[in-house]
Amino acid sequence: MSKGQAGISDKIDHLFRYEYGKLVSVLTKTFGASNIELAEDVVQEAMLEALKQWEYKGIPQNPVGWIYKVAKYKAVNLVNREKYKREYSSVVAQYLQSEWTVEPALNHIFTEKEIEDDQLRMIFTCCHPSISTDSQIALTLKTLCGFSIPEISKAFLSTEESINKRLVRARKTIRDSNIAFEVPMGRELGQRMVSVMETIYLLFNEGYNASSGNSFIRFELCAEAIRLAEIISQNTNIVNKSKIHALLALMSLNASRFTSRADAFGNSVDLEHQDRSKWDKSLMHRGLVYLERSMPQREVSNYHILATISAHHCTAKDFKSTDWESILSLYDNLVKIDRSSIVLLNRAIVVSKVKGAGDALAELEAIQDKTVLLSYLPYYTAKAELHFLNDQAEVARNLLKKALDLPINENYRSLIINKLKTY
Amino acid sequence: MQEFMLFIKTKGDHLEGLSPEEQQAHIQKIGNYIGGLMQSGKLKSAQPLDMAGAVVYGNKGTFKDGPFNESKEVIVGYFHISAENLDEAIEIAKANPIFESEEASIEIRPIKQMDGIN
Repeated sequence: MSKGQAGISDKIDHLFRYEYGKLVSVLTKTFGASNIELAEDVVQEAMLEALKQWEYKGIPQNPVGWIYKVAKYKAVNLVNREKYKREYSSVVAQYLQSEWTVEPALNHIFTEKEIEDDQLRMIFTCCHPSISTDSQIALTLKTLCGFSIPEISKAFLSTEESINKRLVRARKTIRDSNIAFEVPMGRELGQRMVSVMETIYLLFNEGYNASSGNSFIRFELCAEAIRLAEIISQNTNIVNKSKIHALLALMSLNASRFTSRADAFGNSVDLEHQDRSKWDKSLMHRGLVYLERSMPQREVSNYHILATISAHHCTAKDFKSTDWESILSLYDNLVKIDRSSIVLLNRAIVVSKVKGAGDALAELEAIQDKTVLLSYLPYYTAKAELHFLNDQAEVARNLLKKALDLPINENYRSLIINKLKTY
Repeated sequence: MQEFMLFIKTKGDHLEGLSPEEQQAHIQKIGNYIGGLMQSGKLKSAQPLDMAGAVVYGNKGTFKDGPFNESKEVIVGYFHISAENLDEAIEIAKANPIFESEEASIEIRPIKQMDGIN
């Protein structure tokens, strides 16, 4: 029995991930954006009921259909039971309250096309600019990706309480600002797409760059960011797909190197020393296909440039044969769009490959003492390396000693201490 | 676009004389009809009415009330729709499958539009 139970849990976990976000999206349209939590509750109840039933009766032939059916019944019962208690800001809820319209409405809202559109609406609702970025990400993971609060808190190395607070704040903002459950149109769509893509890329980087935490969950974050971007790129309502394809290219190409960035002991490995045979070829291929698809339009975004840089790294046979000159000219274009200190730092590293450490250090003077960099570990390690190559080992050592004062984990600490010995 | 109320009227309960299979088939047809209106975005709402109720009539002071007469033509439900004009609303009403199973009538009334307050 217990063995069978575990099997069922696995199966429902799998379903949960794939169907949860879809069902919550459809039901959020049904109940209105101000009732997101209600939608989540109904889906969760339906899934629990499935688990209970299947334990005794086995998994049905069409488990997805089964869960949908239960969720439909629950939704109909709920809007009718709470008819006078709750405000449903949707025409669908009204349909579900009439004998004549309930069946046609259920058939209509659960078509594949509607489900896809609802997921897109959900993305735009969760990533609404009036919600803080932290809360946007938490809410997206919770509602669209089926992450539990403990999973989100593990992914962000935060407490369950603080994640819950972010979720509560996000839902409150949606209610208070009357955020509509819709994809904006016309000029507003372009602006909102920018902030949606920023949130997705941030989610990706949370997974990709986190210095510690469970690597399985961190990879899940990357995979979810890619999945969300694919929901957008596959939707026919979005016409201009150049940027979203570029973002997908960037994330896929970077993710293809995910596992090679740590050795068997969990220590991070820099690009130069990574085992390139470990790079995920199929993910890389997908990234290159997306990059190609992003090209026809004349638009060039930071995603286009970053994806192209990433593609250069991915396709280089080894570190030595990296095409640094092309990468440098891409960085020259990138700084025209984004002159942030971190981009300038990364560019300086590339300058050192092309023109030498001395030139790179000269470039770095422009961003000397920028506050963002003072707590940014790569700034110290990269600058130290440049000084070392420039025959200034003393300066290099001092920089690394400063880096040790940063709040960094043991893994990085030991890497720096090892590096100190080589300078 | 204009909004209309479509009042469905039959003589007594139109579903009463039907066998369960016929009722099922009728519901299926109504479902397709309503689904079509929904998909084209023309349906605001549609509700059947219970066969019970009451009527009040007369003047204030001399109110009379009583159960309404089921054997006469009664409103069994309404559709609230939007249509381009009265002609389209009429076409929509004519397509109602209720006409396939029995004699019925549908009263089509435009909802008065408010232009604003002076």
